[in-house]
Amino acid sequence: MRRAVSALLALLIFAYLFGVLLKAPIPGDYRDERYNYYSPLSGREANESVPDHYVERGEEETGSQNIVTSIVVLYRGFDTLGEVTVLFTAATGVAFLLSTQRSKGEKEKKKEPNFMASTGVGLVLPFILLVGAYIFVHGHLTPGGGFPGGAVIATGFVLMLVAYPRFQLREKKVSVVEAFSGLAFAVIGLISLIMGLTFLENYLPKGVAGTLLSAGIIPLIYIAIGFKVGSELSAIVSHMKGGEE
Amino acid sequence: MVVHPTLLIVLPLVGAFSVSLIRRYGGGAIKLYGSAYLFLNLIISAVLFMEVRSGGEVTERIAGYSPPVGIFLAVGAVNAVLVLLINLFAAFNYLTFNPKDKEPFHRFTVLYLLGVASSSGIVLTGDLFNMFVFFEIAAVSSYALVASSKDERSVGSAIKYMILGSVGSTFMLISIALIYSELRTLNLYDIAHRIGEMGGAVRTAAFTFLIVGIGVEAEIFPFNGWVPGVYGRSDGNISSFLVLGPSKAAIYAILRVLITLFYGSSSRAVMMDIAMVLGLITLVVGEVAALSEKDPKRMLAFSSIGQMGLILIAISLGSAAGIVAAVFLMVSHASVKSALFLSSDVYRQGGMRYTLTGALSVGAVLGLVGMPPFAGFWGKWYLLSGAADEGLWIVIAAVIFTTAVEAYYLARFLSRGLSMKKRGGVKPTRVITMTVMVGVSLLVGLFASVIYEMVSAGVTTLLSGGI
Repeated sequence: MRRAVSALLALLIFAYLFGVLLKAPIPGDYRDERYNYYSPLSGREANESVPDHYVERGEEETGSQNIVTSIVVLYRGFDTLGEVTVLFTAATGVAFLLSTQRSKGEKEKKKEPNFMASTGVGLVLPFILLVGAYIFVHGHLTPGGGFPGGAVIATGFVLMLVAYPRFQLREKKVSVVEAFSGLAFAVIGLISLIMGLTFLENYLPKGVAGTLLSAGIIPLIYIAIGFKVGSELSAIVSHMKGGEE
Repeated sequence: MVVHPTLLIVLPLVGAFSVSLIRRYGGGAIKLYGSAYLFLNLIISAVLFMEVRSGGEVTERIAGYSPPVGIFLAVGAVNAVLVLLINLFAAFNYLTFNPKDKEPFHRFTVLYLLGVASSSGIVLTGDLFNMFVFFEIAAVSSYALVASSKDERSVGSAIKYMILGSVGSTFMLISIALIYSELRTLNLYDIAHRIGEMGGAVRTAAFTFLIVGIGVEAEIFPFNGWVPGVYGRSDGNISSFLVLGPSKAAIYAILRVLITLFYGSSSRAVMMDIAMVLGLITLVVGEVAALSEKDPKRMLAFSSIGQMGLILIAISLGSAAGIVAAVFLMVSHASVKSALFLSSDVYRQGGMRYTLTGALSVGAVLGLVGMPPFAGFWGKWYLLSGAADEGLWIVIAAVIFTTAVEAYYLARFLSRGLSMKKRGGVKPTRVITMTVMVGVSLLVGLFASVIYEMVSAGVTTLLSGGI
């Protein structure tokens, strides 16, 4: 009975949402005048829309060739600081709960690794780490950035855990990387405040868009995010596996 | 601008990121380190409060872009009061935790600091998506904090909370996507200014999903199934944190949605009526359930639901008196209900006869019922006068009825607690924190004009679509 009611409710919500989406107008050109924004600080209507601003002025204002990156790291950089923190919260929560409720004395049998797996992982690991680092260092130039770059690095460590059952992440060292990469992001933002700018405002030369050393603080932030995401995802997997505290 | 409101969010983040670096110095050092950030935040929020009180609103852009292209923080009278309240009580509440109970304590401190930072973030931000991000942090840290309680069944409650919370935040995200697809903006005030351009059906769906999403955190009926389990099984000082932090931020988010976000909407009157009905149901269901509940913590949990309903009713009056009432009720609930949750552990140990905890609980109960001169009295007073202005007799009847119910079950709670002698000892930090909480409720009640003048000066701009 309860199941039937729940299923019916879920169907109703689905039907409602579907109906709403049918009624919603197909999104038009982002430059359309009806999307022009209103600025709450000056109280005036602008003659551009928000996406239009990002596309037209993004490269000039941020020095980043990749518009998505300029939005993620600068225009909406505060959200990104928050998103990194969401991941950090989840990683800390997992570590906190698993370390308090771990059953002691149980030791799983550790199988010898498959020869192919251990040799193969040894061979690809350096390349995986290199690709991960490449993705987040070039975040302002190519698709990718700190989050995918960090995730790629974490897959390298996951492979190590799979191929070498005795391999253990040094929890203390990982948490040092975690701490310093998170601090780097926050401190890069706080330096702006100390320099009399607003939080996370760029203070480095923007350089020539399209070159590696461009876009001011964006590459620095993405490197910090890369390390942070990489270390956190690795720590989550290691804790789930039952690493040492 | 004397102080940057961003610091209230960024400094606890810095603390959370760096706390693992000092973990080898032990629990005492970690506690000192965590408290340093929390009390620094308290000072900053007090300065911000004074600034808003003397000069009106404070806004701060992020990354140098003016909104809606960038994100900004918008502090008016109401959220200046609230952010001070959250940071004040969160700092003192942190003192009640014993590092030995919460091993590893550095991780616990991280979760606590993030819970405080995100609650401040929800309250301060002027951007809808930014608010969602802070909701995520607040929710995830709350799940872990609840599961760390001594009662092992708290893990089950935390999982239930997590499932409901995740569904809620999905609804919130769908709502934000609907709004963005129609308006191409995420800024609260930009959306409010142009909400009339949205199609009626999409706007209704966006409103519904937003209320459902925030309603889970704000303990609004029928999205509050997690509340009795979580408050009933968590340690008292974790429940008190949830009451003073995330749930206050969530009910304030409802205020932002009802008063600011849908300011220009043609169907706003209907939306306010729906919120009013939800608030009435939440109030009556919560208080009546509390009456039939024997377990002290679960009783306080149901009572908490009732109080949140009361705040929702005050907000949905939509008038100046309603907003003022909501502010006083939030102050009252965050202070005395947290104090009662702190006393509930002592209560479970056996009783609190002839103790300071007992005396403080009496004060907290009087404050919760709404006796003068506590803050709760002014909350109910302005709520009743606001309802009378609009001829909403059903609200007046519901408030008086539930106050009587509340007085009855709280008296029962007290008479049982005070009739038995305590067995275990009470940590002095817990008594200090309870004193601060009950004291604030009393002081706000005695000097109600300070808050009243500040809020009613800010309410005029708030009700006309401003900050």
